[in-house]
Amino acid sequence: MRVDRIRLFVQALCFVFLIYGGLTIFSIGTAIPTMACIYAENRGGSCFLYPFQRFLSMPWAMLFGSAATAFLIYLGTFFLWALVFGKTFCGWICPLGFLQDLITKIREWVGIDGSRFAWKTRDRFQWVKYALLALLILLPMGIGNSLLGLPRFTPDLAVPFCQICPGKPLIPLFEGDLSHLIIDFSSTTKLVLSSLSMLIAGLFLVGGFVKRRYICAFCPMAALLSLFDRIGFVGLKKKGEACTCCGNCFRACPMEIREIAELRDKKHMVTQDCMLCMRCIEVCPENKALTATIIGLPVFSASAEGFLKRQNKTASAGGPFHGETPALQDTATDPESASK
Amino acid sequence: MKSAIIKKLSAISGKKSPEAAGSPEGSSKGSPEDRVARRLSLHMAMAVREIYDAIAMEKNRPVSMTPFDTLFKNFADAPEKILPTGPRKKIGIYCMAVPEELIYAAGALPVRLCAGSGDAAEAGEALFPDVSCPMVKAATGFTRTGVLPMYRECDLIIIPTTCDWKVKLGELISRHVPVMMLSVPKFKAAESSRRFWYAEIRRLMHALEKVTGKRITRKKLRAAMDMMHKAQQEFRRLQTLRMDDLSLIRGRDAAAVANAWFYMDGADWTLAARNLNEELLERKEKGIGTAPRTAPRILLTGSPVIFPNWKIPDLIENAGGTLTCDELCSSGRLLWDMACIDEPLFDDMLDALADRCLLPCTCPVFTDREDRKTRLFRMIKDYRVEGVVHHVLKGCHPYDMELRPLEAELAAAGVSQLKIETDYSPEDTEPLRTRVEAFVETLKGRRLRMGKSA
Repeated sequence: MRVDRIRLFVQALCFVFLIYGGLTIFSIGTAIPTMACIYAENRGGSCFLYPFQRFLSMPWAMLFGSAATAFLIYLGTFFLWALVFGKTFCGWICPLGFLQDLITKIREWVGIDGSRFAWKTRDRFQWVKYALLALLILLPMGIGNSLLGLPRFTPDLAVPFCQICPGKPLIPLFEGDLSHLIIDFSSTTKLVLSSLSMLIAGLFLVGGFVKRRYICAFCPMAALLSLFDRIGFVGLKKKGEACTCCGNCFRACPMEIREIAELRDKKHMVTQDCMLCMRCIEVCPENKALTATIIGLPVFSASAEGFLKRQNKTASAGGPFHGETPALQDTATDPESASK
Repeated sequence: MKSAIIKKLSAISGKKSPEAAGSPEGSSKGSPEDRVARRLSLHMAMAVREIYDAIAMEKNRPVSMTPFDTLFKNFADAPEKILPTGPRKKIGIYCMAVPEELIYAAGALPVRLCAGSGDAAEAGEALFPDVSCPMVKAATGFTRTGVLPMYRECDLIIIPTTCDWKVKLGELISRHVPVMMLSVPKFKAAESSRRFWYAEIRRLMHALEKVTGKRITRKKLRAAMDMMHKAQQEFRRLQTLRMDDLSLIRGRDAAAVANAWFYMDGADWTLAARNLNEELLERKEKGIGTAPRTAPRILLTGSPVIFPNWKIPDLIENAGGTLTCDELCSSGRLLWDMACIDEPLFDDMLDALADRCLLPCTCPVFTDREDRKTRLFRMIKDYRVEGVVHHVLKGCHPYDMELRPLEAELAAAGVSQLKIETDYSPEDTEPLRTRVEAFVETLKGRRLRMGKSA
């Protein structure tokens, strides 16, 4: 079984749970480090960023006074989630990630070639997610308090990141809620934010169709989670001396992380963009060159044998485009039958 | 006897018919080219027979080597039978940088034409400077004389511009055969290099489609890649078996197995290799080896070793060493690197093929030796290598250039090394034998000392 398939299955389960889980009166809280949108009515759990921004927009006195305990509990819960699951949230749980993977699957099924970022472009936009993270912290702070003597920001700026996150218009759609597909003319701030939101949602759909995991390259949650890359329970280790730099992993990586194929001296391969989809391990033909670990214990290692087994399965699987009979046997490799 | 060979020769020597050669038996000597061809044919046949006479004396040789032996004996006895017969187009290739999967997918047979015959090198010598690559000289010799028909009957010959010799080879042989050059970027790490190489692979694909008249479809490419994987699986199995403490197969024979891939159909080769692997597995259980356990384990690296140039492997193993592995583009590296079949789209599969041929390649024509160094160190560890033999063909500048820094790095890690600079001719065999024997003795002595200290 390809890890890819298992992952898609897990993603689908998590998607259903996070979007409709609320119908079962069951929820895993509101501090989950993944884009499970709070605007979805029947959610089974929701994104950490919304309450985080709400807390930050409180006046200092309140945040460090009456709300301090609640805030700390929030942060603590988030910390635990992030420590235990880390980037697996991005690859295996995030509903927006799942949607993008679905769009990619559709593209591949139709047979349209995908595109990749030019290396330079990709490197150039690495800062965006950190900038968004900084903004989603600073802007709410400026609502409740005056930062550096500036006048307080308008409350229309409340939860600024959620206002532009593609999850807000798109995820409620799965519950038939179209109310977030709007451009809000009630104030300039709202007009700008809601226009941006529509634009980004459009980019999400179009970009996701062109390139795998397009929007993830700009996600502030990934920036936040990458703080836990080194200390998180789930790890991805590389054994440099076993690597031939064949580039299989780099080609397979949905996040187009070059380090995975090119660095031999780096051991911890959970880089800032890594989403722990484990696809790189799956396509690595060198024994133990890449290993996924949980609390340091290896759970899934690259091996030549496993590689061949999985590849063999795909080759003989016969999807929508290819029959199960080896096309070569009758036409090419068997001259006798060809001549007869 | 002799006249029979000459008769056969004129029948096979390229485009010239026996009438055109035009002489009643034994009278005229023919044109100088004919004489060169005749001499090459005779000498090569002698060399091949000599090899197999020596092999016939060996004990404990795996029986499953037979299909490979038959193939190589054809070099002397029936050059027209080397390649499988059939209506398939034949595509000649040089180096490892040509994705053979594409050729199979186009319904053609890839034939790697890299040559190892000293006599052929002599035949091609006239066109080359004093110090030049014997492999390219031999390939030119074979092509110009037409002694091995496969050098002439290919429908297209693809030459990647790896080393400088290959760059110029195309022009030299294009008078006789259709040639397509494939430009290989030398700096692997740049994005522009990779994009360029992707484009080259696509150009190759279109050229193949044009030559064969068949479209390469996703389905065919998948099947070809799958076939390749099966071959690679057996290849890796063989290499893994060689990691065993007991040396199950002579290094020369392992090189021959890999070498046979050049000429055999992929599926046939896989079958033969599978039989061999099964036999080796049995021998492992029974404890039958080709060398005593005391024989020092040696790694051979450097310029390619191609049939019938078994000089170096034979020297090492006759001196009492065991050639456990090699890092040569003609054998140990040949089928190692694998591409992914499960790329989502046809385009991605082409990229995967392109990457397989370029990125993991440890050929010294690329700008840095990091990949080769890593691979060597890994092999030294995996195969528990005691000594490294660097094989540099005279004129093989890339390996020669890389040698000094590499030697220093290996020496720093405490690896014993021997550098052998030679060519295809058997002239220097005896002086080399002395050096190799001394090296093997040193390794043995070292093992004893290490054993005592431990």
